[in-house]
Amino acid sequence: MAELSLQHIDKIYDNNVQAVFDFNLDVKDGELIVLVGPSGCGKSTTLRMVAGLEDISNGHLLLDGKDITQTPAKDRDMAMVFQSYALYGHMTIYENMAFSLTLRKEDPNVIHKKVLAAAEILGLTSQLNKKPAQLSGGQRQRVAMGRSIVRNPKVFLFDEPLSNLDAKLRGATRREILLLHKRLQATMLYVTHDQTEALTLADRIVCMSMGHVQQVGTPLELYDSPNNVFVASFIGLPPMNFYDVKVVGKELQGNGLKVALSDEEQAVLAGYQGKEITLGVRPENFTEGTEFKVTVTNNENLGMNTLVYGTGEGNVKVTAKLKGWKNYKVGETAGFNIVRKHFFDKETTNAIRGDK
Amino acid sequence: MSRAKTPEDQYIQRDRMRFIKNSACANLCYLGLLFDVFYFVTIYRQDVGSYYYNIQIGASVVYNLVFLLAVFLSSEAVKNYKRNYSIVLIVAGVMQIVRMFVIPARAHGAQTLVNGEEVAVMSDGTFTKAVVYLGISAAAILFAAVLNYIRCTQLEAHVKSLEANKA
Repeated sequence: MAELSLQHIDKIYDNNVQAVFDFNLDVKDGELIVLVGPSGCGKSTTLRMVAGLEDISNGHLLLDGKDITQTPAKDRDMAMVFQSYALYGHMTIYENMAFSLTLRKEDPNVIHKKVLAAAEILGLTSQLNKKPAQLSGGQRQRVAMGRSIVRNPKVFLFDEPLSNLDAKLRGATRREILLLHKRLQATMLYVTHDQTEALTLADRIVCMSMGHVQQVGTPLELYDSPNNVFVASFIGLPPMNFYDVKVVGKELQGNGLKVALSDEEQAVLAGYQGKEITLGVRPENFTEGTEFKVTVTNNENLGMNTLVYGTGEGNVKVTAKLKGWKNYKVGETAGFNIVRKHFFDKETTNAIRGDK
Repeated sequence: MSRAKTPEDQYIQRDRMRFIKNSACANLCYLGLLFDVFYFVTIYRQDVGSYYYNIQIGASVVYNLVFLLAVFLSSEAVKNYKRNYSIVLIVAGVMQIVRMFVIPARAHGAQTLVNGEEVAVMSDGTFTKAVVYLGISAAAILFAAVLNYIRCTQLEAHVKSLEANKA
Protein backbone atom coordinates (compact mmCIF):
# COMPACT_ATOMS: atom_id res chain seq x y z
CA MET A 1 0.00 0.00 0.00
CA ALA A 2 1.46 3.35 -0.97
CA GLU A 3 -0.42 6.57 -1.43
CA LEU A 4 1.60 9.61 -2.26
CA SER A 5 0.50 13.16 -1.77
CA LEU A 6 2.33 16.21 -3.07
CA GLN A 7 0.96 19.35 -1.48
CA HIS A 8 1.79 22.87 -2.69
CA ILE A 9 5.33 21.90 -3.61
CA ASP A 10 7.73 24.53 -4.87
CA LYS A 11 11.32 24.19 -5.95
CA ILE A 12 13.44 27.32 -5.73
CA TYR A 13 17.14 26.95 -6.39
CA ASP A 14 19.84 28.91 -4.54
CA ASN A 15 20.08 31.37 -7.45
CA ASN A 16 16.37 32.15 -6.94
CA VAL A 17 15.32 30.34 -10.11
CA GLN A 18 11.99 28.66 -9.45
CA ALA A 19 11.69 25.33 -11.26
CA VAL A 20 8.39 24.09 -9.85
CA PHE A 21 5.38 26.17 -8.81
CA ASP A 22 2.69 24.99 -6.40
CA PHE A 23 2.63 21.34 -7.47
CA ASN A 24 -0.36 19.42 -6.10
CA LEU A 25 -1.06 15.77 -6.76
CA ASP A 26 -2.60 12.83 -4.95
CA VAL A 27 -1.37 9.48 -6.21
CA LYS A 28 -3.55 6.53 -5.32
CA ASP A 29 -2.18 3.15 -4.34
CA GLY A 30 -1.11 1.15 -7.39
CA GLU A 31 -1.54 4.07 -9.75
CA LEU A 32 0.85 4.80 -12.60
CA ILE A 33 1.23 8.54 -12.96
CA VAL A 34 3.16 9.95 -15.88
CA LEU A 35 4.68 13.43 -15.65
CA VAL A 36 5.00 14.74 -19.17
CA GLY A 37 6.20 17.99 -20.62
CA PRO A 38 8.96 19.55 -22.69
CA SER A 39 12.57 19.78 -21.49
CA GLY A 40 12.99 22.16 -18.58
CA CYS A 41 9.35 22.04 -17.48
CA GLY A 42 10.25 20.74 -14.00
CA LYS A 43 9.08 17.15 -14.29
CA SER A 44 12.43 15.54 -13.43
CA THR A 45 12.94 18.06 -10.64
CA THR A 46 9.59 17.06 -9.19
CA LEU A 47 10.54 13.39 -9.39
CA ARG A 48 13.89 14.07 -7.74
CA MET A 49 12.13 15.94 -4.95
CA VAL A 50 9.88 12.92 -4.41
CA ALA A 51 12.95 10.66 -4.38
CA GLY A 52 14.71 12.93 -1.90
CA LEU A 53 17.51 13.82 -4.29
CA GLU A 54 16.44 17.48 -4.28
CA ASP A 55 15.23 19.51 -1.32
CA ILE A 56 11.64 20.65 -1.32
CA SER A 57 11.64 24.45 -0.96
CA ASN A 58 8.00 24.76 0.11
CA GLY A 59 5.14 22.36 0.58
CA HIS A 60 4.77 18.86 1.92
CA LEU A 61 5.30 15.37 0.62
CA LEU A 62 3.24 12.65 2.29
CA LEU A 63 3.66 8.90 1.89
CA ASP A 64 0.73 6.95 3.29
CA GLY A 65 -0.22 10.02 5.30
CA LYS A 66 3.24 10.40 6.86
CA ASP A 67 5.14 13.60 6.14
CA ILE A 68 8.44 12.62 4.51
CA THR A 69 9.41 16.09 3.27
CA GLN A 70 12.59 16.08 5.35
CA THR A 71 13.22 12.33 5.31
CA PRO A 72 16.56 11.37 3.70
CA ALA A 73 16.36 9.58 0.34
CA LYS A 74 17.61 6.27 1.76
CA ASP A 75 14.77 6.13 4.29
CA ARG A 76 11.91 6.91 1.88
CA ASP A 77 11.43 3.35 0.65
CA MET A 78 11.36 4.44 -2.97
CA ALA A 79 13.36 3.05 -5.86
CA MET A 80 14.41 5.09 -8.85
CA VAL A 81 15.24 3.92 -12.35
CA PHE A 82 17.44 6.32 -14.28
CA GLN A 83 17.76 6.99 -17.98
CA SER A 84 21.44 6.04 -17.85
CA TYR A 85 20.72 2.71 -16.04
CA ALA A 86 23.43 3.47 -13.42
CA LEU A 87 24.67 -0.13 -13.34
CA TYR A 88 28.04 -1.16 -11.92
CA GLY A 89 30.14 -2.28 -14.87
CA HIS A 90 32.47 -4.54 -12.88
CA MET A 91 29.62 -6.47 -11.29
CA THR A 92 27.55 -9.23 -12.83
CA ILE A 93 23.83 -8.72 -13.37
CA TYR A 94 23.15 -10.86 -10.30
CA GLU A 95 25.49 -8.75 -8.19
CA ASN A 96 24.01 -5.51 -9.56
CA MET A 97 20.52 -6.62 -8.65
CA ALA A 98 21.59 -7.88 -5.23
CA PHE A 99 23.77 -4.89 -4.40
CA SER A 100 21.28 -2.68 -2.58
CA LEU A 101 20.12 -5.59 -0.43
CA THR A 102 23.71 -6.62 0.32
CA LEU A 103 24.39 -3.09 1.53
CA ARG A 104 21.41 -3.43 3.86
CA LYS A 105 22.97 -6.64 5.16
CA GLU A 106 19.97 -8.78 4.32
CA ASP A 107 20.22 -12.56 4.59
CA PRO A 108 22.05 -13.82 1.45
CA ASN A 109 19.46 -16.56 0.98
CA VAL A 110 16.64 -14.01 1.02
CA ILE A 111 18.58 -11.83 -1.43
CA HIS A 112 19.03 -14.84 -3.70
CA LYS A 113 15.30 -15.57 -3.72
CA LYS A 114 14.42 -11.96 -4.45
CA VAL A 115 16.96 -11.62 -7.25
CA LEU A 116 15.82 -14.83 -8.92
CA ALA A 117 12.18 -13.80 -8.63
CA ALA A 118 12.88 -10.38 -10.16
CA ALA A 119 15.01 -11.93 -12.90
CA GLU A 120 12.19 -14.33 -13.67
CA ILE A 121 9.68 -11.47 -13.96
CA LEU A 122 11.99 -9.54 -16.27
CA GLY A 123 13.23 -12.51 -18.30
CA LEU A 124 16.81 -12.03 -17.17
CA THR A 125 17.47 -15.44 -15.60
CA SER A 126 19.85 -16.52 -18.34
CA GLN A 127 21.76 -13.24 -18.15
CA LEU A 128 22.55 -13.22 -14.43
CA ASN A 129 26.21 -14.19 -14.82
CA LYS A 130 26.90 -11.58 -17.49
CA LYS A 131 28.31 -8.10 -17.06
CA PRO A 132 26.22 -5.06 -18.09
CA ALA A 133 28.48 -4.42 -21.10
CA GLN A 134 27.41 -7.77 -22.55
CA LEU A 135 23.72 -6.81 -22.58
CA SER A 136 21.65 -4.72 -24.97
CA GLY A 137 20.23 -1.35 -23.92
CA GLY A 138 16.79 -2.82 -23.29
CA GLN A 139 18.21 -5.62 -21.17
CA ARG A 140 20.27 -3.14 -19.16
CA GLN A 141 17.18 -1.08 -18.50
CA ARG A 142 15.44 -4.26 -17.34
CA VAL A 143 18.33 -4.88 -14.96
CA ALA A 144 17.90 -1.37 -13.60
CA MET A 145 14.22 -2.15 -13.06
CA GLY A 146 15.12 -5.47 -11.48
CA ARG A 147 17.36 -3.68 -9.03
CA SER A 148 14.34 -1.65 -7.99
CA ILE A 149 12.00 -4.64 -7.83
CA VAL A 150 14.20 -6.63 -5.43
CA ARG A 151 13.92 -3.83 -2.90
CA ASN A 152 10.14 -4.11 -2.97
CA PRO A 153 9.79 -0.36 -2.49
CA LYS A 154 6.57 1.45 -1.78
CA VAL A 155 6.97 3.69 -4.81
CA PHE A 156 8.80 3.20 -8.10
CA LEU A 157 10.21 6.30 -9.76
CA PHE A 158 11.20 6.25 -13.42
CA ASP A 159 13.19 9.14 -14.87
CA GLU A 160 12.93 8.90 -18.66
CA PRO A 161 13.96 5.22 -18.61
CA LEU A 162 13.45 4.64 -22.32
CA SER A 163 15.20 7.68 -23.73
CA ASN A 164 18.44 5.81 -24.44
CA LEU A 165 16.73 3.07 -26.42
CA ASP A 166 16.03 2.92 -30.13
CA ALA A 167 12.43 3.23 -31.31
CA LYS A 168 11.72 -0.48 -31.63
CA LEU A 169 13.24 -1.38 -28.28
CA ARG A 170 11.46 1.55 -26.67
CA GLY A 171 8.11 0.16 -27.73
CA ALA A 172 8.96 -3.31 -26.43
CA THR A 173 10.33 -2.05 -23.12
CA ARG A 174 7.30 0.23 -22.71
CA ARG A 175 5.04 -2.80 -22.95
CA GLU A 176 7.22 -4.60 -20.41
CA ILE A 177 6.89 -1.70 -17.97
CA LEU A 178 3.13 -1.81 -18.39
CA LEU A 179 3.07 -5.57 -17.76
CA LEU A 180 5.33 -5.06 -14.77
CA HIS A 181 2.97 -2.47 -13.35
CA LYS A 182 0.01 -4.78 -13.82
CA ARG A 183 1.88 -7.63 -12.17
CA LEU A 184 3.28 -5.68 -9.22
CA GLN A 185 0.32 -3.34 -8.78
CA ALA A 186 2.83 -0.86 -7.42
CA THR A 187 2.56 2.89 -7.19
CA MET A 188 4.70 4.37 -9.95
CA LEU A 189 5.74 7.85 -10.98
CA TYR A 190 7.11 8.01 -14.48
CA VAL A 191 8.74 11.00 -16.14
CA THR A 192 8.94 11.36 -19.88
CA HIS A 193 8.92 14.00 -22.58
CA ASP A 194 7.41 11.51 -25.02
CA GLN A 195 3.67 11.95 -25.20
CA THR A 196 3.26 8.49 -26.77
CA GLU A 197 4.76 6.92 -23.65
CA ALA A 198 2.51 9.06 -21.51
CA LEU A 199 -0.65 8.13 -23.39
CA THR A 200 0.12 4.41 -23.51
CA LEU A 201 1.39 3.90 -19.96
CA ALA A 202 -0.46 6.27 -17.68
CA ASP A 203 -3.45 5.76 -15.48
CA ARG A 204 -3.29 9.53 -15.17
CA ILE A 205 -1.07 12.09 -16.85
CA VAL A 206 0.31 15.26 -15.30
CA CYS A 207 1.13 17.66 -18.11
CA MET A 208 3.63 20.34 -17.11
CA SER A 209 5.02 23.48 -18.66
CA MET A 210 7.44 26.04 -17.23
CA GLY A 211 7.17 24.52 -13.75
CA HIS A 212 3.39 24.70 -13.66
CA VAL A 213 0.93 21.83 -13.83
CA GLN A 214 -1.22 22.43 -16.88
CA GLN A 215 -3.60 19.52 -16.53
CA VAL A 216 -4.01 16.30 -14.57
CA GLY A 217 -6.25 13.65 -16.04
CA THR A 218 -6.57 10.34 -17.81
CA PRO A 219 -4.92 10.05 -21.21
CA LEU A 220 -8.33 10.34 -22.87
CA GLU A 221 -9.18 13.48 -20.92
CA LEU A 222 -5.95 15.15 -21.97
CA TYR A 223 -6.40 14.12 -25.57
CA ASP A 224 -10.09 14.79 -25.86
CA SER A 225 -10.58 17.74 -23.52
CA PRO A 226 -7.31 19.62 -23.19
CA ASN A 227 -7.42 22.39 -20.60
CA ASN A 228 -5.54 24.89 -22.69
CA VAL A 229 -3.60 25.49 -25.89
CA PHE A 230 -0.39 24.10 -24.40
CA VAL A 231 -1.89 20.72 -23.49
CA ALA A 232 -3.73 20.59 -26.81
CA SER A 233 -0.51 21.23 -28.71
CA PHE A 234 1.64 18.89 -26.61
CA ILE A 235 -0.62 15.86 -26.57
CA GLY A 236 -1.25 14.29 -29.94
CA LEU A 237 0.99 13.59 -32.89
CA PRO A 238 1.14 15.44 -35.23
CA PRO A 239 0.16 18.35 -33.01
CA MET A 240 -3.17 20.11 -33.18
CA ASN A 241 -3.72 22.84 -35.82
CA PHE A 242 -4.57 26.25 -34.37
CA TYR A 243 -6.33 29.09 -36.14
CA ASP A 244 -7.22 32.60 -34.97
CA VAL A 245 -10.87 33.04 -35.88
CA LYS A 246 -13.78 35.30 -35.02
CA VAL A 247 -17.20 34.07 -33.99
CA VAL A 248 -19.59 35.64 -36.51
CA GLY A 249 -23.18 34.48 -36.27
CA LYS A 250 -23.32 30.74 -36.98
CA GLU A 251 -19.80 30.44 -38.25
CA LEU A 252 -16.14 31.02 -37.51
CA GLN A 253 -14.28 33.36 -39.82
CA GLY A 254 -10.72 34.47 -40.15
CA ASN A 255 -7.61 34.15 -42.30
CA GLY A 256 -9.69 33.00 -45.23
CA LEU A 257 -11.33 30.39 -43.07
CA LYS A 258 -15.11 29.99 -42.94
CA VAL A 259 -16.31 27.16 -40.76
CA ALA A 260 -19.95 26.53 -39.94
CA LEU A 261 -20.89 25.88 -36.32
CA SER A 262 -23.40 23.31 -35.16
CA ASP A 263 -26.17 24.31 -32.74
CA GLU A 264 -24.27 22.76 -29.90
CA GLU A 265 -21.07 24.65 -30.80
CA GLN A 266 -23.01 27.89 -31.08
CA ALA A 267 -24.29 27.34 -27.56
CA VAL A 268 -20.76 26.80 -26.29
CA LEU A 269 -19.56 29.99 -27.98
CA ALA A 270 -22.61 32.04 -27.05
CA GLY A 271 -20.55 34.40 -24.91
CA TYR A 272 -17.97 34.90 -27.64
CA GLN A 273 -20.12 36.43 -30.39
CA GLY A 274 -18.02 38.93 -32.32
CA LYS A 275 -14.92 38.01 -30.37
CA GLU A 276 -11.72 36.38 -31.49
CA ILE A 277 -10.99 32.85 -30.29
CA THR A 278 -8.49 30.12 -31.14
CA LEU A 279 -9.87 27.20 -33.08
CA GLY A 280 -8.05 23.90 -32.58
CA VAL A 281 -8.39 20.99 -34.96
CA ARG A 282 -6.53 17.72 -34.55
CA PRO A 283 -5.01 16.42 -37.81
CA GLU A 284 -7.09 13.25 -37.47
CA ASN A 285 -10.27 15.35 -37.20
CA PHE A 286 -10.01 16.38 -40.84
CA THR A 287 -11.76 14.32 -43.48
CA GLU A 288 -11.81 14.82 -47.21
CA GLY A 289 -14.56 17.30 -48.11
CA THR A 290 -15.26 20.77 -49.39
CA GLU A 291 -15.51 22.93 -46.26
CA PHE A 292 -11.88 23.97 -46.18
CA LYS A 293 -9.64 24.19 -49.27
CA VAL A 294 -5.83 24.15 -49.17
CA THR A 295 -2.93 23.90 -51.57
CA VAL A 296 -0.97 20.74 -50.81
CA THR A 297 2.67 21.31 -49.86
CA ASN A 298 3.56 17.75 -48.90
CA ASN A 299 2.02 14.26 -48.87
CA GLU A 300 3.47 11.64 -46.51
CA ASN A 301 2.20 8.08 -46.69
CA LEU A 302 2.47 6.20 -43.40
CA GLY A 303 0.76 3.03 -44.53
CA MET A 304 -2.55 3.10 -42.70
CA ASN A 305 -2.69 6.90 -42.82
CA THR A 306 -1.53 9.76 -44.96
CA LEU A 307 -0.30 13.07 -43.61
CA VAL A 308 -1.27 15.91 -45.91
CA TYR A 309 0.37 19.28 -45.33
CA GLY A 310 -1.15 22.30 -46.99
CA THR A 311 -1.55 26.04 -46.98
CA GLY A 312 -4.91 27.73 -47.17
CA GLU A 313 -6.03 31.30 -47.82
CA GLY A 314 -4.16 33.86 -45.75
CA ASN A 315 -1.21 31.48 -45.44
CA VAL A 316 -3.10 29.26 -42.99
CA LYS A 317 -1.12 26.07 -42.37
CA VAL A 318 -2.94 22.75 -42.23
CA THR A 319 -1.78 19.29 -41.24
CA ALA A 320 -4.35 16.61 -41.89
CA LYS A 321 -4.12 12.92 -41.06
CA LEU A 322 -6.34 11.08 -43.48
CA LYS A 323 -7.23 7.41 -43.34
CA GLY A 324 -5.77 5.20 -46.05
CA TRP A 325 -3.22 5.77 -48.78
CA LYS A 326 -3.62 9.13 -50.54
CA ASN A 327 -1.62 10.53 -53.39
CA TYR A 328 -1.97 14.31 -53.35
CA LYS A 329 0.51 16.07 -55.58
CA VAL A 330 2.35 19.16 -54.38
CA GLY A 331 0.45 22.23 -55.59
CA GLU A 332 -2.79 20.31 -55.96
CA THR A 333 -5.91 21.65 -54.19
CA ALA A 334 -7.34 19.48 -51.45
CA GLY A 335 -10.62 19.97 -49.62
CA PHE A 336 -11.31 19.00 -46.03
CA ASN A 337 -14.20 18.90 -43.60
CA ILE A 338 -13.69 19.37 -39.88
CA VAL A 339 -15.41 16.71 -37.81
CA ARG A 340 -14.35 17.86 -34.34
CA LYS A 341 -13.39 21.31 -33.10
CA HIS A 342 -11.72 22.60 -29.94
CA PHE A 343 -12.19 26.20 -28.85
CA PHE A 344 -9.76 28.22 -26.75
CA ASP A 345 -9.99 31.69 -25.29
CA LYS A 346 -7.52 33.84 -27.21
CA GLU A 347 -6.38 35.82 -24.18
CA THR A 348 -6.15 33.15 -21.48
CA THR A 349 -5.49 30.26 -23.90
CA ASN A 350 -7.84 28.19 -21.72
CA ALA A 351 -10.34 25.84 -23.29
CA ILE A 352 -13.85 27.11 -23.83
CA ARG A 353 -15.69 24.24 -22.21
CA GLY A 354 -18.59 22.30 -23.58
CA ASP A 355 -16.77 21.78 -26.86
CA LYS A 356 -18.24 18.93 -28.87
CA MET B 1 22.96 -17.54 17.70
CA SER B 2 22.45 -18.60 14.11
CA ARG B 3 19.47 -20.81 13.38
CA ALA B 4 19.86 -24.35 12.08
CA LYS B 5 19.98 -24.64 8.31
CA THR B 6 16.90 -26.13 6.76
CA PRO B 7 17.12 -28.25 3.60
CA GLU B 8 15.74 -25.24 1.74
CA ASP B 9 18.52 -23.03 3.08
CA GLN B 10 21.07 -25.59 1.97
CA TYR B 11 19.48 -25.76 -1.47
CA ILE B 12 19.57 -21.97 -1.81
CA GLN B 13 23.19 -21.90 -0.67
CA ARG B 14 24.10 -24.36 -3.37
CA ASP B 15 22.03 -22.46 -5.92
CA ARG B 16 23.74 -19.19 -5.00
CA MET B 17 27.03 -20.69 -6.11
CA ARG B 18 25.78 -20.46 -9.70
CA PHE B 19 25.96 -16.68 -9.44
CA ILE B 20 28.31 -15.85 -6.59
CA LYS B 21 32.07 -16.11 -6.97
CA ASN B 22 34.01 -18.46 -4.72
CA SER B 23 35.53 -15.54 -2.84
CA ALA B 24 36.23 -17.49 0.35
CA CYS B 25 38.66 -19.82 -1.41
CA ALA B 26 40.27 -16.96 -3.32
CA ASN B 27 40.72 -15.01 -0.10
CA LEU B 28 42.31 -18.03 1.58
CA CYS B 29 44.77 -18.16 -1.32
CA TYR B 30 45.59 -14.48 -0.82
CA LEU B 31 46.15 -15.19 2.87
CA GLY B 32 48.54 -17.99 1.91
CA LEU B 33 50.41 -15.59 -0.38
CA LEU B 34 50.59 -12.93 2.32
CA PHE B 35 52.14 -15.26 4.88
CA ASP B 36 54.58 -16.54 2.29
CA VAL B 37 55.69 -12.93 1.79
CA PHE B 38 56.09 -12.58 5.58
CA TYR B 39 58.17 -15.75 5.51
CA PHE B 40 60.62 -14.75 2.81
CA VAL B 41 60.96 -11.21 4.15
CA THR B 42 61.86 -12.75 7.52
CA ILE B 43 64.53 -14.90 5.88
CA TYR B 44 65.98 -12.32 3.48
CA ARG B 45 66.25 -9.47 5.97
CA GLN B 46 68.69 -11.44 8.12
CA ASP B 47 72.22 -10.01 8.14
CA VAL B 48 74.27 -13.19 8.20
CA GLY B 49 77.13 -12.34 5.86
CA SER B 50 77.53 -14.76 2.98
CA TYR B 51 75.75 -17.67 4.64
CA TYR B 52 72.90 -17.65 2.14
CA TYR B 53 75.13 -17.05 -0.93
CA ASN B 54 74.64 -20.47 -2.48
CA ILE B 55 72.48 -22.35 -4.92
CA GLN B 56 69.92 -23.11 -2.24
CA ILE B 57 68.89 -19.48 -1.77
CA GLY B 58 68.79 -18.99 -5.55
CA ALA B 59 66.44 -21.93 -5.86
CA SER B 60 64.40 -20.54 -2.97
CA VAL B 61 63.98 -17.18 -4.75
CA VAL B 62 62.93 -18.86 -7.99
CA TYR B 63 60.55 -21.14 -6.13
CA ASN B 64 59.03 -18.15 -4.37
CA LEU B 65 58.29 -16.52 -7.70
CA VAL B 66 56.77 -19.73 -9.08
CA PHE B 67 54.76 -20.18 -5.87
CA LEU B 68 53.41 -16.60 -5.96
CA LEU B 69 52.40 -16.93 -9.59
CA ALA B 70 50.84 -20.38 -9.23
CA VAL B 71 48.83 -19.53 -6.14
CA PHE B 72 47.68 -16.20 -7.57
CA LEU B 73 46.51 -17.82 -10.81
CA SER B 74 44.84 -20.56 -8.79
CA SER B 75 43.06 -17.96 -6.67
CA GLU B 76 41.52 -16.52 -9.84
CA ALA B 77 40.58 -19.99 -11.05
CA VAL B 78 38.98 -21.15 -7.81
CA LYS B 79 37.01 -17.93 -7.75
CA ASN B 80 35.22 -19.38 -10.77
CA TYR B 81 34.86 -22.88 -9.29
CA LYS B 82 37.62 -24.62 -11.28
CA ARG B 83 38.02 -27.93 -9.48
CA ASN B 84 41.36 -28.95 -11.02
CA TYR B 85 43.09 -26.02 -9.42
CA SER B 86 42.55 -27.69 -6.06
CA ILE B 87 45.36 -30.04 -7.08
CA VAL B 88 47.70 -27.11 -7.75
CA LEU B 89 46.81 -25.67 -4.37
CA ILE B 90 47.35 -28.97 -2.57
CA VAL B 91 50.82 -29.25 -4.11
CA ALA B 92 51.60 -25.64 -3.17
CA GLY B 93 50.35 -26.18 0.38
CA VAL B 94 52.32 -29.36 0.87
CA MET B 95 55.41 -27.64 -0.50
CA GLN B 96 55.02 -24.91 2.13
CA ILE B 97 55.24 -27.60 4.80
CA VAL B 98 58.26 -29.16 3.08
CA ARG B 99 59.94 -25.74 3.02
CA MET B 100 59.93 -25.65 6.81
CA PHE B 101 62.54 -28.45 6.69
CA VAL B 102 64.73 -26.75 4.12
CA ILE B 103 66.02 -23.25 4.92
CA PRO B 104 64.61 -22.67 8.43
CA ALA B 105 65.50 -26.10 9.78
CA ARG B 106 69.03 -25.95 8.37
CA ALA B 107 69.73 -22.36 9.34
CA HIS B 108 68.38 -22.82 12.84
CA GLY B 109 71.33 -23.81 15.02
CA ALA B 110 73.91 -23.14 12.25
CA GLN B 111 76.81 -20.78 12.90
CA THR B 112 78.50 -18.35 10.49
CA LEU B 113 81.25 -15.74 10.57
CA VAL B 114 80.20 -12.08 10.47
CA ASN B 115 83.06 -9.53 10.82
CA GLY B 116 85.30 -12.25 12.18
CA GLU B 117 82.83 -13.23 14.85
CA GLU B 118 80.85 -16.45 14.95
CA VAL B 119 77.14 -15.80 15.16
CA ALA B 120 73.98 -17.92 15.01
CA VAL B 121 72.39 -17.79 11.53
CA MET B 122 68.84 -18.01 12.80
CA SER B 123 67.69 -17.24 16.31
CA ASP B 124 64.96 -19.29 17.99
CA GLY B 125 62.56 -16.39 17.59
CA THR B 126 63.21 -15.99 13.85
CA PHE B 127 62.95 -19.75 13.34
CA THR B 128 59.59 -19.84 15.14
CA LYS B 129 58.32 -16.91 13.10
CA ALA B 130 59.43 -18.47 9.80
CA VAL B 131 57.84 -21.81 10.64
CA VAL B 132 54.59 -20.20 11.84
CA TYR B 133 54.36 -18.10 8.65
CA LEU B 134 54.90 -21.14 6.46
CA GLY B 135 52.46 -23.13 8.58
CA ILE B 136 49.70 -20.52 8.26
CA SER B 137 50.40 -20.17 4.55
CA ALA B 138 50.20 -23.95 4.08
CA ALA B 139 47.02 -24.25 6.17
CA ALA B 140 45.27 -21.45 4.27
CA ILE B 141 46.18 -22.87 0.89
CA LEU B 142 45.28 -26.46 1.79
CA PHE B 143 41.99 -25.30 3.28
CA ALA B 144 41.27 -23.34 0.09
CA ALA B 145 42.01 -26.47 -1.95
CA VAL B 146 39.70 -28.69 0.07
CA LEU B 147 36.91 -26.11 0.28
CA ASN B 148 37.13 -25.47 -3.45
CA TYR B 149 36.95 -29.18 -4.18
CA ILE B 150 33.86 -29.60 -1.98
CA ARG B 151 32.11 -26.57 -3.43
CA CYS B 152 32.90 -27.50 -7.01
CA THR B 153 31.53 -30.98 -6.43
CA GLN B 154 28.37 -29.59 -4.83
CA LEU B 155 27.90 -27.07 -7.62
CA GLU B 156 28.39 -29.68 -10.30
CA ALA B 157 25.83 -31.97 -8.69
CA HIS B 158 23.42 -29.07 -8.24
CA VAL B 159 23.68 -27.96 -11.86
CA LYS B 160 23.20 -31.54 -12.99
CA SER B 161 20.06 -31.86 -10.87
CA LEU B 162 18.73 -28.58 -12.28
CA GLU B 163 19.35 -29.77 -15.80
CA ALA B 164 17.71 -33.09 -15.04
CA ASN B 165 14.67 -31.28 -13.62
CA LYS B 166 14.50 -29.05 -16.67
CA ALA B 167 14.63 -32.06 -18.97
